[in-house]
This record gives sequence, structure tokens and C-alpha cells, in this order.
Amino acid sequence: MRRKFHMRQLTQDAVPTTSLADMMFLLLIFFIMTTTLARTTGFITDVPMGTKGAQQSASEKSPSVVLHDGKITVNEDQEMTIQQLRNYISGLHLDRKRGDAKVVIISAEGVVPYQMYYETLAMVQNASGVVAIVSDEVEKK
Amino acid sequence: MIRRPKHELPIVPTANLVDIAILLIIFYMACSNFLSVTGKLTPPKAPDLYKVEEPLISVSVDQEGTIMLQGHEAANAAEVEAVIGVLLRDKTAEDNKKRMVMFKCDATVKRQVYQPVLDAIVHAGGLILAVGENTEK
Repeated sequence: MRRKFHMRQLTQDAVPTTSLADMMFLLLIFFIMTTTLARTTGFITDVPMGTKGAQQSASEKSPSVVLHDGKITVNEDQEMTIQQLRNYISGLHLDRKRGDAKVVIISAEGVVPYQMYYETLAMVQNASGVVAIVSDEVEKK
Repeated sequence: MIRRPKHELPIVPTANLVDIAILLIIFYMACSNFLSVTGKLTPPKAPDLYKVEEPLISVSVDQEGTIMLQGHEAANAAEVEAVIGVLLRDKTAEDNKKRMVMFKCDATVKRQVYQPVLDAIVHAGGLILAVGENTEK
């Protein structure tokens, strides 16, 4: 009797799949909880590198934006708000220009939060301009 | 005494349920993004940002000013430049897609922290993909 029972157990060739659904649903719940379907937004910028001398000659033509302690100064003397700067940059019609005329020089001094810097970069980028960043390292040269 | 006929309970076919679950798992696995950033990070906001594909190299700066490179903490901007330089060693200047470096930074971080990192990416030959949140004008 015992032997017969044993034989019957061995002849079962079906793979038990009853718990497979449970495992699948556990995995499914995990992926649903961890997945973020929102795509990354931003902008791509190829920042040109140059020497101080090259920047000075370019600055004769290119508009410059200086961010310093929460303030925005354009072309060394015009203080603007972020909205005024947006209007100014869109008024430059950078999309119609070519080569060096597309360049807008951006420099930051003192305490400048990334939000302000980012908005300015995005503004120039959206207006089809080319951002030239003046960094401390270059300024020292 | 009236005997009521035994009604058999309807059987819900569950055999295909596993197949559906597997399909859903494949979908979520394909859509998942496990490239996580440790630390608190509130991205900056700007209008007219467009959707971008995430590149393989990522640099992030959290609220505390901690620099993370490929999910690991980097000591300073010089380390970022060195590592990205190695990662982009074989990439040519024309190969823009492969040169892309995703830069995520907290909106409140000061210039003294993010500027050297941006410089490091540019010096290493990277193309900056600055991540932010889209806002209406």
C-alpha cells in the first residue's frame, strides 16, 4: 500500500504552478510602486571653453549677463528682473543670428542659487543662443 | 422537506492570469528607472524645457552640497573631472549623444558648489544635460 502511494507521487509530471501567480503579483506590486513613468525634462548645453582674451574680444559684440547676489545686470549697467531679462533675450532674436553673434556670456558672482543660474541658462538656450560661461578659473587667468 | 438542487459555484478561469502578470512585469521592468539619487534634491524650475533621454553618466548635487557621481559620493570637482575624463576617453567630439552628462542639482545650492562641478564636466569633454522641472510661463 505504501509502495503504491509512493509510485503515484513519482508519476506526477506536472510542474506545480499554483504559487506562481502569487509571486508574479508580488513582483508586479513591487514594480508598480517603484516605477516612475515621468520622463526627464531639461536642456542640453555645449558650453564653449575659451581664454580670457578670447572672451574679452567676444564681449565687445556679445551681450553679457552677470548674476550677483540675487540681482541680474545686463551689459554691465542695466539691472533687470528675470522677466525683463526674458523679454530682453527674446528681443535679441538669437535664432536669426549666426556664429559668434549667438553667444550670450553668463557669469555669476557672490551668492547665486542654482535656480537663478538654471533659469538664465534655459532662457538663452530656448532662444537658440549659445551660452558662454565665465568661471572663476578663467577669470583668474 | 424540500431538497434544493445543489448549485455548483462558477469557476473563474485563472490560468491566463499569470501570463497577464508576466506581461505587466515585463512592461514595468522596461519602464523602470533605478538610477536613484541619494539625498534631498529639489530640481530647479524653468519654462519650455523639453523631454530628454537620460544618458549613461550622471552627476548630482543634493541640498547638502554632496556631489554624487554615478550614484557614488565624489570628494570634489577634481574627482568628477577625472572620472568623467576616463568614461569619455574614447568618445569623439562629434559623438554628442555619448558625451552627454546628466547634471541634477538642488535649486538652492550655491554657486561655489555647482560651478566647479559644471566646469569639471566641461573640462572632461562632457556635454551638459541640465535637468529641471517644467513650469508654465
